[in-house]
Amino acid sequence: MPTLLETQRAMRASLVDGDDRKAAALLADDVGAARLNIYRNTFVTGVTKALRLTYPAIHRLVGADFFEAAAARFIARHPPRTAYLDQYGADFPDFLRNFQPAASLAYLADVARLEWAVSRAIHAADAEPLDLARLAALSPQDQARVCFVPHPANGLLCADHPADTIWRGVLNGDDAALAGVDLGAGPVRLLVERRATGVEVSRLDEAAWCFTVALCDGWSVEEALAGAAGASVAPLLTEHLAAGRFIDFHLAQRKP
Amino acid sequence: MRPDVAWMEVHTENYMGGGTPLRYLDAIRRDHPISLHGVGLSLGSAQGLDPAHLERIRVVAERVEPGLMSEHIAWSVVGGTYLADLLPLPMTEESLAVVCRHVDQVQTCMKRRILVENPSTYLRFRHSTIPEWEFMAAVALRTGCGILCDVNNIYVSAHNHGWDASAYLAGLPPAAIGEIHLAGHSVRPLPDGGTVRIDDHGSKVIGEVWALYREALARFGPLPTLIEWDTDVPPLEVLLGEAEFAGALLVRAEQEARGADAA
Repeated sequence: MPTLLETQRAMRASLVDGDDRKAAALLADDVGAARLNIYRNTFVTGVTKALRLTYPAIHRLVGADFFEAAAARFIARHPPRTAYLDQYGADFPDFLRNFQPAASLAYLADVARLEWAVSRAIHAADAEPLDLARLAALSPQDQARVCFVPHPANGLLCADHPADTIWRGVLNGDDAALAGVDLGAGPVRLLVERRATGVEVSRLDEAAWCFTVALCDGWSVEEALAGAAGASVAPLLTEHLAAGRFIDFHLAQRKP
Repeated sequence: MRPDVAWMEVHTENYMGGGTPLRYLDAIRRDHPISLHGVGLSLGSAQGLDPAHLERIRVVAERVEPGLMSEHIAWSVVGGTYLADLLPLPMTEESLAVVCRHVDQVQTCMKRRILVENPSTYLRFRHSTIPEWEFMAAVALRTGCGILCDVNNIYVSAHNHGWDASAYLAGLPPAAIGEIHLAGHSVRPLPDGGTVRIDDHGSKVIGEVWALYREALARFGPLPTLIEWDTDVPPLEVLLGEAEFAGALLVRAEQEARGADAA
């Protein structure tokens, strides 16, 4: 008699790899192997829907048929690992970057990266913003040693193409904005965050982006300011704090 | 608009992050008891429960303090892959032992009794030895958990496998039943000329399922009843009409139960 694990592995081969041989051999005599299609369809349709919810702009950019075909290939290679499907699809941007049928859409992977950051921002755990009184209570020397913990909804990305303009244009159906997109305008650096009113995507200049990445990576204020090499980023720190982009901090070790 | 319903049920998996969904859930919870209905714990996984998923469920339950908590007699995870469906178990002693071990684990973790729901299934394994209703009853008996009796699922599975739906109901232990589900389903042709009924929660409850629901109420007494409708969602008044009809049958069952007590 097949074990439970053998049965489950046979079903996985049927649903994910499309190989029905082992599963069909386990079915009761009066159960046709066609019934395996019911489960395979539910699996592929359900996971494709999860991807579509996370990547609505990609879905509109390539159309439903292309999206479903790409999703089927992606799902077979990267099936979900848990039932928490809001976390599914992190690998989709990289998959699209290397997906030959989409090779002519060089910006597609960048838009997908932005959508993944937006999805993360939507679903990230709640966290209270840092209480600024705790910072104010520090000496100026200690304030320089502060290393922040970023809000889990924050996302930072640098894209070769204007992913934000394309993303907004596609989701708003704004053809004029899309017609005005200059794919060769150079990279955009984006901050994605969750505000009370919803997720917001804003552009940062190079100095501001590098400074913000350093702070979110746990550099101390002193190190991040030094890294900014004279660019005027101090007002940005104030803005980050006021916007609740950090939730905690610790103090860097004193240098010996 | 605040619908006049006694309680609401949500899929636990939709509230595992933060942000807006959780805010909505908090708002519902202020006015209504909530039942947490999980679809992804995979109680029948041969390789054990995913501890991270169990912990996510525990966190949601801690926040919501649900009136009822439920999962399915099914599996969806093997080899670290989530198969995004409630897959049928072979009805064997091994499966029964696995499910009971996992129900124990969940009830210990949640520090409460859970309900387990009978699934809709579209195939059976040749090595199954235990009728599904006996499997359900055995899980309840061995673990002390309750049963979420999905009347539509019984109807669907009975059609798909040639079972007697009334005999299925009669095989469940009345004292263990803690909740009832009702839903619509669809009918699809099979290559062999037959049909298979699919539990897709996308239409009204059919007359035969309402009749089976009456039978369930007569057998188990009045119980919290939920209409599941989560694909092709209709205008709210259609859904409320279904809930109202179930409510009327419940009131009648209560009167009959009181009448029987008085007699």
